[in-house]
Amino acid sequence: MHELSIACEIFEQVMATAKEHRATEVKHVTLQMGRLSHTNPEQLSFCFKAIAEESIAKDADFIVEMVPPSLECECGYKGTIDEKQIRESCQLKSELLAYVAAMECPICGKEANITGGRELIIKSIEIETENQD
Amino acid sequence: MLMHVISMEHDVYKANDKVAEKNKKRLDKHQVFSVNVMGAIGSGKTTLIEEAIRQLKEKYKIAVIAGDVIAEMDSSRFRKLDVPTIPVNTGKECHLDAKLVEKALDEIDLNNTDLLLIENVGNLICPVDFKLGEHLRVVIVSVTEGDDIILKHPMIFKTADLAVINKVDIAHAVDVEAEKMRDDILSLNPKVPVILTSKHDWESLETWISFIELGIKEAQNR
Repeated sequence: MHELSIACEIFEQVMATAKEHRATEVKHVTLQMGRLSHTNPEQLSFCFKAIAEESIAKDADFIVEMVPPSLECECGYKGTIDEKQIRESCQLKSELLAYVAAMECPICGKEANITGGRELIIKSIEIETENQD
Repeated sequence: MLMHVISMEHDVYKANDKVAEKNKKRLDKHQVFSVNVMGAIGSGKTTLIEEAIRQLKEKYKIAVIAGDVIAEMDSSRFRKLDVPTIPVNTGKECHLDAKLVEKALDEIDLNNTDLLLIENVGNLICPVDFKLGEHLRVVIVSVTEGDDIILKHPMIFKTADLAVINKVDIAHAVDVEAEKMRDDILSLNPKVPVILTSKHDWESLETWISFIELGIKEAQNR
């Protein structure tokens, strides 16, 4: 499990940005997580809350938005894998496997390059600051 | 009280990728060919690295980074072969990352190295998202892990440059078909070369070693 070290990195980045903007409280932390990344959103959230316990981010909502994989093919196709189709096809297989299997170009059928879906981005934070005149 | 939304757009993995890119440039500058050896616990990573060292050490200068939760055990095996070895203890961590490798590179005489073998921590999940600056990503599995191991861990095979199925000599004893494992790998990554090896079959080891030697030669001609 590497969620703890990733949560530490997120916490440090969040606190640095919060400090820079003189925050008194961090209300929300919003992440974008690629469906192909090997990180578990629930575990990550649990670790973040444990680390943030005595900080101004202790009550922050930890929001993880999942990002579907995107593909680029040499035939010129660029697009994102259809999440609805995946949900229908993955009843028996794992979701991750269904995504990996879906990495053929829908136009020419060739193996396409993965251009997105492996990321883990701290998108934004919402903070509270003192009134300033 | 005032509320603000602050945009950050900080990619945690990209931060690692940047250090990995730096490591790669540093290795390229010294014409070092580097191999990231990933695989499950007990798949034979250390043994296959030892065999490669034995066969290549007269011709090339080799260094090893041995990553493990407690790295000293594998390191002592490599040191017995008289190659400079840097143990990297990952502690509670389940993978090597680019920063750990960057630090280990400081301890290696890159001017006197042709091949850098990096043994990653044994598992098929965590190392996938962390590039190290390697030229070749190898994944090693053995038949003892069961023939469904491939499809359970699709991304490591999808992103590998070379896949090795090891211990094929005992496939029958563990009721596994190595060919099914190969087909599964190719279904995920049709272009990846797949080698079937056994430490008791010299010819199969030669294929593994020739792959590495090819990379060293390419690096030297860069």
